[in-house]
Amino acid sequence: MNGPAARLRNFLRERLPVDGEQLRALTNEPVPHHLKHWWFCLGGTPAYLFVVMIVTGILLAFWYEATPTRAWESVRVISEDVAYGWFLRSVHRWAATLMVAAVVLHQMRVFFTGAYRRPRELNWLIGMGLLVCTLMAGFTGYSLVYEQLSYWGATVAANLADNVPVIGGLLKSFLLGGDDYNAHTLSRFFVLHGAILPVTMIGLIALHVTLIRLHGVAEMKFRRDEATAPRFFNFFPDHLLTELTIGLVLMILLCVLASIFPVPIGPRADPLSTPEVIKPEWFFYVAFRWLKLWSERAAFLSLGAIVVVMAAWPFIDGWIRRKRPGSEASVFVGIVAVLAILGLTVWEALVAH
Amino acid sequence: MSLEWKKSVIAVLGLLFLGSLVLIQKLEVDRRAVEAKLVAEPIVVPAASRQCVDCHAQSTPGLVDHWKDSTHAHKGVGCVECHQAEKGDADGFDHYGAHVAAIVTPMDCGRCHPDEAKEFGASHHAKGGNILASLDNLLAEVVEGSRSPMNPHAPTPGRPDVTSVNGLASVEVGCKQCHGSKVGLLATDGRSITVDDLKPDKHGKPTNTAILADVQRRDGKPLLHSGSWPNTGIGRINLDGSLGSCSACHSRHDFSARRARQPENCGKCHLGPDHPQKEIYEESKHGVAYRDLKDHMNLDAKDWVLGDDYSQAPTCATCHMSGNLRNGGKVTHDPGERISWTNRPPVSLGMDTDKNHAVIKESDPAKRAAAIADGGDSWQAKRQRMTDVCMHCHTQDYVTSFYEQYDDLVVLYNEKFAKPGQAIVAALRAQKLLTPQEFDEEIEWTWYYLWHHEGRRARHGASMMAPDYTHWHGMFEVAERFYVELIPQARELAAHAAASGKQAEADAVTKVIDEILARPEHVWQDKGH
Amino acid sequence: MTLSLLASYGTFAAMAGRFLLPTGGRPRRWLLVSDLGSFRAGATRTFVAPTGERIVIARRAAGDASGGDDRGAPALDEFVALSSTCPHLGCQVTWQPQETRFFCPCHNGTFAPDGSPTGGPPLEANQSLPRYPLRIDAGLLYIEVPLADGAAT
Repeated sequence: MNGPAARLRNFLRERLPVDGEQLRALTNEPVPHHLKHWWFCLGGTPAYLFVVMIVTGILLAFWYEATPTRAWESVRVISEDVAYGWFLRSVHRWAATLMVAAVVLHQMRVFFTGAYRRPRELNWLIGMGLLVCTLMAGFTGYSLVYEQLSYWGATVAANLADNVPVIGGLLKSFLLGGDDYNAHTLSRFFVLHGAILPVTMIGLIALHVTLIRLHGVAEMKFRRDEATAPRFFNFFPDHLLTELTIGLVLMILLCVLASIFPVPIGPRADPLSTPEVIKPEWFFYVAFRWLKLWSERAAFLSLGAIVVVMAAWPFIDGWIRRKRPGSEASVFVGIVAVLAILGLTVWEALVAH
Repeated sequence: MSLEWKKSVIAVLGLLFLGSLVLIQKLEVDRRAVEAKLVAEPIVVPAASRQCVDCHAQSTPGLVDHWKDSTHAHKGVGCVECHQAEKGDADGFDHYGAHVAAIVTPMDCGRCHPDEAKEFGASHHAKGGNILASLDNLLAEVVEGSRSPMNPHAPTPGRPDVTSVNGLASVEVGCKQCHGSKVGLLATDGRSITVDDLKPDKHGKPTNTAILADVQRRDGKPLLHSGSWPNTGIGRINLDGSLGSCSACHSRHDFSARRARQPENCGKCHLGPDHPQKEIYEESKHGVAYRDLKDHMNLDAKDWVLGDDYSQAPTCATCHMSGNLRNGGKVTHDPGERISWTNRPPVSLGMDTDKNHAVIKESDPAKRAAAIADGGDSWQAKRQRMTDVCMHCHTQDYVTSFYEQYDDLVVLYNEKFAKPGQAIVAALRAQKLLTPQEFDEEIEWTWYYLWHHEGRRARHGASMMAPDYTHWHGMFEVAERFYVELIPQARELAAHAAASGKQAEADAVTKVIDEILARPEHVWQDKGH
Repeated sequence: MTLSLLASYGTFAAMAGRFLLPTGGRPRRWLLVSDLGSFRAGATRTFVAPTGERIVIARRAAGDASGGDDRGAPALDEFVALSSTCPHLGCQVTWQPQETRFFCPCHNGTFAPDGSPTGGPPLEANQSLPRYPLRIDAGLLYIEVPLADGAAT
């Protein structure tokens, strides 16, 4: 009993006063039976993709140089010269795309199942924060490549930020590090993309998961479920295996996407000529089309208002349900919103200007 | 789903993931293999030339771009390697810390390319500048222009600066751009200081250094006489005494072997009414095949050896200069080495050359043989070298018969028209029925057209298989010129002489004409009496 | 299952590691030094490499030349190109003409004009100044040197 293994265990136990059993009990929360349905795993998917983004992002940062003179060239070096560079860059880019899609799907699932309702309003708010961070990370990410889209996207976005009431000018200066796109701008985007946003997201994700743990996952009942099925199953190892499966499917998907559609590198940014056809990434199509529909200021402010309404929806919904118990208003609002988003996205995708 | 089942699913998915990574690896390997061939080697600007490149990339970016695409750039040969001048060079000047000269001569190129420079120096090309007292030059200097500057005879509206006429303009812009100028430094009094004044030693350094004080300079840079520069004529006579210009064929600043291999390059000069080699080549099957197959001819190859690097079609360079499998790939920069007739003079001569690479004009067979033996070269040896080229695609019998056809045409022209024409003009001159001055009498123009334009077209056409040039542009016009112009003009001169009391002279000329026309090849004419 | 997971994610990690490795060192290239005619026996030249390094190229004095073909062309072994990077710990050596030696300021290493060590740590470890490969091709002397970053255009 006094072998070196036991001595080591005692040594660790003394300095890390956590018992394995305690840890297991603490983390091994009961998982509601409905999570056996695969489409309820859309929360774990973005989390897994986030880890992929962090890993590939750190790798890419080893070669990336955040200066206007070298940025495009360094991305070219990554894509063409470095071993597996094209692959890791493609995985990073495709994971970003899938992550945005997964976050949006996750949010739709939460919305339509009413999982945001009391007492879970705060977690919806945090989720909104994560959505905004994800989109911003997507935007700052493609600004770093310093191809034409990067440059003009950043320029347009910074000028839009100017429309924010009161602090607009300040925000723009903060974003660009000057009055217009200059030598400091790219480092700012790099810090946002590589430090501020990921750290914020890690914090938000931690809060998100903690709140889920504290509230417990909202339970669902399905008609098809056998009445005899247990209400819960164990996180270890059952749900973990599910998540592992999802992770592997995602990895395979990323590999396939990266090899069939490797991410190209566009023409280097030219501050003297805006390309004929310029469009942001697909997940900004909605906002892009919306901005073109109204006057710039009205569109931008209404966009802000929409985001605020989305964030505040659990409270608005709660108010409606207090006034008219049993109202399904939120479902209809949701359907209208989804159709509007889809419509604007498709519209933008189909036209050149 | 049971836990065991899930584990198996994960195991399979893990293997699939591994499989897709293997696929990624294969893509990576394939990509590397392709890129290894695709990626152009980066250019290195040699340290000594970095300053030149930095500045000239702003001031003359095209020039720097040309250089960057050159083999020189890839091998680390920069600006100063070619442009450097030594203290004491006539045209050297200090330029941002380097001592350079604008004109790069074969002597400069020869520092690294000694064999090429030597072969070129021995060629007829290098002597192209020595036309300066020829018939052609007389035409341009005197007939077309004026040897001394003239006054303008009426104002040119809008150009009050036109105060004198440079009578040598046609020579400078026409003749010398192919033949090469005698490069001159601009003197303070406007005259041209050439190699004749500088008297350079064998290293190109002027021995007459006193005259350099007369050179006009701007910021220390000696100015060149605009009558002599810009010029890339192939026989340029340079300030250092060297002959020729490598850029005539290789172009600055990319010094392209590829370009020199293409007929368009030779076509800058070898075209037109007097020697349409370019058009003749284009009419021939050789030229037709080249135009069709050019893209497959590996023109970028390092050595471009016929039979090894390509065999689709010959260009000018293929037959006259480039290496081939049968000669061990040896390139020559003396295109005369494979030419067995010279069709340049009025009467074609066999291309026996002496040790100075000059055509042997001697008629005594023993003396000819001696000159050939003494470091010379026989026409048979030259023809054999050309035959080696032909035989990459044609059999010996085919080539031999081709040469019989070619020889027959040249001999026919020589015997039926050239020697008789020459004899008639000589008789007129001997009898003083012509002034010593060339081109002041119509028959002199007639005779010049006959041999210099039409006669050459016929012979060149035969040499490179262009039937239309041999016949319609060639022998047909030679015959017309002979029967319809030369003979009547000669008779008229004789008649005029007889009328003015020079009966003896007239009779002598008429006798020469009659003897010629009595030959069987000329008696076809029905004189009606 | 564990094996399959380890193999797949392990491969991914290995690829990531390979990604971080430098891409095969600096590219090297043969560059022209000079024609042989103007490089006299006993002469020394400084060749500035694209990286900025000053490389001393020397041709041995006539007399101790061992080779050369019948045309009197110099043989390759008459030439030597010395790096100015000290083999000890990579500092740059300087030429001290009054001492006729190369001197490394980091640990007082010294070298003879032919690059052999004469003092300091290089002598103890018997390390000579590194030599660059030279080549004679068609009467021209070439040297193989690393290219600077961004030499590509």
